[in-house]
Amino acid sequence: MRPLMAELSSSLNVFLATAAALVAIGVYGFIVGPEPLRRIVALNIISAGIFKLMVVLAYRGSGNGDAEWLADPVLHALVLTGLVVAVSATAFALALLARLGQSMTAGQEDPGQ
Amino acid sequence: MMILLLVLPLAGALLMLLWPRIAPLLALFSAAACSLIALQLLLQVSEQGTGYWLLAGWPSGLAIAWQADTLSCLLILLTAVLQLLVGFYAFAIRTRDKLSQGFWPLSSLLQLSLTALWLSRDLFNLYVCLELLALVAVALVSLSGRKAIKPALNYLLLSLFGSLCYLLGVVLLYGAYGRLDIAGLASEWQPNLLTNSALLLMSLGLMLKAALWPLHGWLPAAHAAAPAPVSALLSALVVKGPLFILCLLWLQLASSQQAQAMAPLFAGAGLAALLFGGWSALRTPFAKNLVAYSTVAQLGYATVALGLMLKFDQPLIFAALWLFVLAHALAKAACFLAIGEMSGTLGGKRLTTLKGASQTMPLAMFAFAVAGGSLIGLPPSGGFLAKWALLQGLWSQDQQLFWPLALVLATLLSAAYVFRVVVLAFDRADPVAPDFSPQVLPQWLALLPALAVWAMALFSEPLLLLLRLEAL
Amino acid sequence: MSPFWLSYLPLAIILSSLLPGLIIFTLKEHQVKLRIALNLLGVTVKLVLVLIMWQAVKAGAIFYFRVPFLPGADLILQGDALSLLFVVLSSVLWLATTIYAIGYLENSPLRSRFFGYFSLCVSATVGLALSGNLVSFLLFYELLTLATFPLVVHRGTPEALAAGRRYLAYTLSGGLLLLTGVALLHSLVQSPQFIPGGYVSAVVREHSGLLQLAFGLMIAGLGVKAALLPLHGWLPQAMVAPAPVSALLHAVAVVKAGAFGIIRLVYDVFGVDSMQQLQLAEPLMLLAATTILYGSWRALAQQDIKKRLAYSTISQVSYITVGVAMLGPLAAVGGLVHLVHQGVMKITLFFCAGNYAETLGVHKIRELNGAGRRMPLTSAAFTLGALGMIGIPPTAGFISKWYLGLGAVATDNSMMLLVFVFSGLLNAAYFLPIVYRLWFLPQRSSWPKEQRLSATLETHWMLLLPMLFTALLIILMGLFASTGVSPLSWTQLIVEREFSYD
Repeated sequence: MRPLMAELSSSLNVFLATAAALVAIGVYGFIVGPEPLRRIVALNIISAGIFKLMVVLAYRGSGNGDAEWLADPVLHALVLTGLVVAVSATAFALALLARLGQSMTAGQEDPGQ
Repeated sequence: MMILLLVLPLAGALLMLLWPRIAPLLALFSAAACSLIALQLLLQVSEQGTGYWLLAGWPSGLAIAWQADTLSCLLILLTAVLQLLVGFYAFAIRTRDKLSQGFWPLSSLLQLSLTALWLSRDLFNLYVCLELLALVAVALVSLSGRKAIKPALNYLLLSLFGSLCYLLGVVLLYGAYGRLDIAGLASEWQPNLLTNSALLLMSLGLMLKAALWPLHGWLPAAHAAAPAPVSALLSALVVKGPLFILCLLWLQLASSQQAQAMAPLFAGAGLAALLFGGWSALRTPFAKNLVAYSTVAQLGYATVALGLMLKFDQPLIFAALWLFVLAHALAKAACFLAIGEMSGTLGGKRLTTLKGASQTMPLAMFAFAVAGGSLIGLPPSGGFLAKWALLQGLWSQDQQLFWPLALVLATLLSAAYVFRVVVLAFDRADPVAPDFSPQVLPQWLALLPALAVWAMALFSEPLLLLLRLEAL
Repeated sequence: MSPFWLSYLPLAIILSSLLPGLIIFTLKEHQVKLRIALNLLGVTVKLVLVLIMWQAVKAGAIFYFRVPFLPGADLILQGDALSLLFVVLSSVLWLATTIYAIGYLENSPLRSRFFGYFSLCVSATVGLALSGNLVSFLLFYELLTLATFPLVVHRGTPEALAAGRRYLAYTLSGGLLLLTGVALLHSLVQSPQFIPGGYVSAVVREHSGLLQLAFGLMIAGLGVKAALLPLHGWLPQAMVAPAPVSALLHAVAVVKAGAFGIIRLVYDVFGVDSMQQLQLAEPLMLLAATTILYGSWRALAQQDIKKRLAYSTISQVSYITVGVAMLGPLAAVGGLVHLVHQGVMKITLFFCAGNYAETLGVHKIRELNGAGRRMPLTSAAFTLGALGMIGIPPTAGFISKWYLGLGAVATDNSMMLLVFVFSGLLNAAYFLPIVYRLWFLPQRSSWPKEQRLSATLETHWMLLLPMLFTALLIILMGLFASTGVSPLSWTQLIVEREFSYD
């Protein structure tokens, strides 16, 4: 029941590293980019990184070598919930962005690229 | 009974979408019913003690944990009552301000997400509530039309970023301990690098969402852009949600070393918020921005109290923290409604439109002044009560001189910006004429929470007792 | 009279002005008769209630009314001899000022608002007088600030607004200092009821530093309203308010609230013994003595009548503080009785100044030449007030200064005696020239803005009557000082009770 991080086999480190890299890329994009669309994409990259981390953590090794091929179902449920939330938030952000684009008068920057 | 608190607003919101014509009626009805239920729940909990629920009968650690203690019940009651009041206000001004139909279901959803947030004691469930809260809040801000979209989008993006930071922290904690309920986590908590970083990540996200200094930048624009009833809800309630989670994290999860290490940071950030927010409120030329900056400053009190609570672990300070929140919620609702009413009637966003308002709209101005009295902390208001509890808590610890002094300075600042408006209202030189004759009912509705916050002082003893017990 | 009814007496005294005030807010501008009726009804009820209480307190009763408020500090209203002194003063002078204000503000705009806040102001003052512990006192102290602010800015002119800002800056900071002091003291000994002899003696040894700090903070907070030396700046500026307001502000409500707070603090919170142990009396006395001389000195240089009166107030109120700080029974009698005497004398002077301004348009001292012939009654009242301020027998001012002098001798403060003499000379130096101008100099030119407010009298009867009433009081309080109904005998009763607690 308790997937301790220490028990994760070393081959999973690669996945962990990619998750971390995704989060890092996303954070960088979010902080650097002034354009709303870029920030929305950056946010999605961060959430992809986090979800990946969750999926990786769901792997349950049994400390003594015999791998139990059962993943932690709670984390999967969480990932699903998180995905739903992330998708709806993204949709809402895009809708707002579209409205912003409509209401922008000429002469200002085009936020929709 | 607790289920009703969640089901009523949700069902109400769905019905409102299906049947927009009676939406206001439904919203008012569900808010009124929720207020009554919340009151009963509060009485029940204060009599029989805290109630725990595990969702769907799963064992502890797996199920989503809910808990109704006196603090949550108080906050639920506050939420429902303010919702009702703001609903009445929005109904009273519906012909003038043309709030879009979206307001009613969204405000019900806001109530739902806040109620769920006050009740849940499960880190991931809290994340979902936070996210829902943020989405609804942003949608409400964007209701006021084209000008509000930019601040709304900004608010949304920062809020999502904050949520993701929080989520990352949650995931790290789950990875380490394999459970998400706060009580369970607290029993297995060990201070180490992993929990440190998880706590810091979550705090970062929550501070961004609660607009605590120095992450408050989005708040004035968003709150000032929203329609008056929405700003009232946002300032009074929405920013308090993340603050609540922050308190849960640091007071229930963090070990004493971690808390000690974080205490000066919180206290310092709060002090900076008080000074910076107060100063900006003193400088801004717009009425609603003034009130929004005052929210930043007033959240500073709560942050200072949180920091000092972590440092001294003194129940009175905890009580002060939540008294600040309660008093601020009521006072700020009154402020925003009064200012909204005045700038709506006098026609203008600048502070100078309030010139002579003590003649043209005495009731609304009185409401602002009375609510401002609580923001300053004049006796016998709720703000005074909170300040008193904080000072007593500080002095019962050891001979503290720096913090009382800092609080005195901050109080002077808040007095300065409140009376900046009041003095303007007494300017009889050339009062701004109202565009149309002022409505009386909305002004009274603005006055109600202001009177309530002064009436809080009459219940100070039970309030303090309830909140102090909660801290133990 | 059932005891049940009696326990609500202090509350009823406050409500008798608060309720009419709240109703007045809702009245329309043209409902003049109703407004006047409400005002007078409130005054009458209040005076009757105060009379009932006075009778009972004289017989040795003390009234309590309490509502739970903060833990360890209920909201207490307490009617004892000392509070009654202030209550009687403010109720009687409220009667006079209300009549004066009705006459003064005839036909000016926003009268409902004015009288509404006026009533609130009196309610706050009476509440302050009746408050039975420091927390209740603090509450009414702040309410008084809020209630007087709209009166200061009533005219709504830029000067009035500037004065209002300044007034707020001073009084709110003062209130805050008081709050800090009260909270600090509360954390040491809670906030029990005021009691003769004080309640801090148990912790004097342990926390002497903190007690001194709390005392300093509270004196600084109270000193703002009592216009003690570095904190007096708001008072001369607040003179832009209408005359009835300056009369009420400077004779009764605001400055006396500060002085009264100092009395309570010294006698009923700290107590004479603890004051001596903590060595707090000496600095307070020196500060007040400096203020006496400074106020008189600055008053000399003022050319505006109301400004000169304001500086005179700064000086005269500090007599009360000095009397209290000398910590002797005789000096205390002098200080306490000066609270009443100074109030009556100063309000007379302000009524006169208002009459000159309203009837003749005169604001400067040099324009007063020969006003005695045009307005003999007003000038006579002014002369009486001025003589009282200087302390010439048989006016009331003489009585209080006599007792202050005796007190100074009895407590071995011969330096204070010097201060009194010197300040008396200064008083004479700034009041007698005015009196001389009034009666002995010929009128220079026509009056700046003369109005005929009455066919037979020198000015409107409502402006005249209250002034004559208070002027008469000055003489009566002096002549009949030894009788049982005089303020002097009442203060002797108070001091007897304050100094015989053990």
